[in-house]
Amino acid sequence: MTPEESYGVLLFQSVSYAIKAEKILLAAGLPHKLIPVPRHISSDCGVCLRFRSELRERILAALDGQVEIDAVHPLK
Amino acid sequence: MSEGEIVDARGLGCPQPVILAKRALEREASVLVIVDNAIARENVRRLGVSSGCDVQTADPGDGTFRIRLTKRPGADLSRAEADLTSCGSEAAASGPFVVVLSSDRMGRGDDELGGLLVRAFLHVLGEQERKPDAIIFYNGGVRLAVKDSPALEDLEALAAAGVEMLVCGTCTNYFNLTADVAVGTISNMYDIAALMSRAGRLVQP
Repeated sequence: MTPEESYGVLLFQSVSYAIKAEKILLAAGLPHKLIPVPRHISSDCGVCLRFRSELRERILAALDGQVEIDAVHPLK
Repeated sequence: MSEGEIVDARGLGCPQPVILAKRALEREASVLVIVDNAIARENVRRLGVSSGCDVQTADPGDGTFRIRLTKRPGADLSRAEADLTSCGSEAAASGPFVVVLSSDRMGRGDDELGGLLVRAFLHVLGEQERKPDAIIFYNGGVRLAVKDSPALEDLEALAAAGVEMLVCGTCTNYFNLTADVAVGTISNMYDIAALMSRAGRLVQP
């Protein structure tokens, strides 16, 4: 991981969706990390899924139809 | 680069080392501060970080700590003022700040949720300005310190920032994980009990 690396985060309605998304991405071998929602982004759920920006489309495709995603944000 | 001024603050009580370091920084671009206890080292380090200095610390192993503060462009010593008043509570808590991970879960209620919470805790711990001096792992907590642990990346970052990590060897043996320990040092109850006994602050998430 380098400091210049660009990340995005997925927000979910509930923690269960975050955990489900993690299981799907682990099975798909797509790197990601569950982290607390950064303070400057508000969310009911408290945890979000961080991903490297270049994986955005593959991650969204893997979760499509299986997990309800609230929002996708770039992470600064 | 010149050595700059040397501030010998050995034997001085809080907040003297910080005050002397700050005065020297007002005169010099780079200052070497010598102190003889971990609290003074931490306070001087925080003075440097909060005022925008590069901070390098060295522990020569003779009971002293050396902190090199070098002003970066835009360094502003007035921003460090608040730290000068923070002595009382710091002095009361002498001894290292220790985090104890006795489980690979945080709290009770649901294990899956608890696993997620402890990972979030360790991630945010790495973002704190005041990081623990040491983390102790025992019982199920050792699972956090082995290869393939989802918390490994954050633990490695904490270790790289100077946080000492003691992993209970009895526990890794019991779980048959000794060969998989990926961060910290395999330790024993003598060291764990000694460190917990002299801790100024013990946090168990």
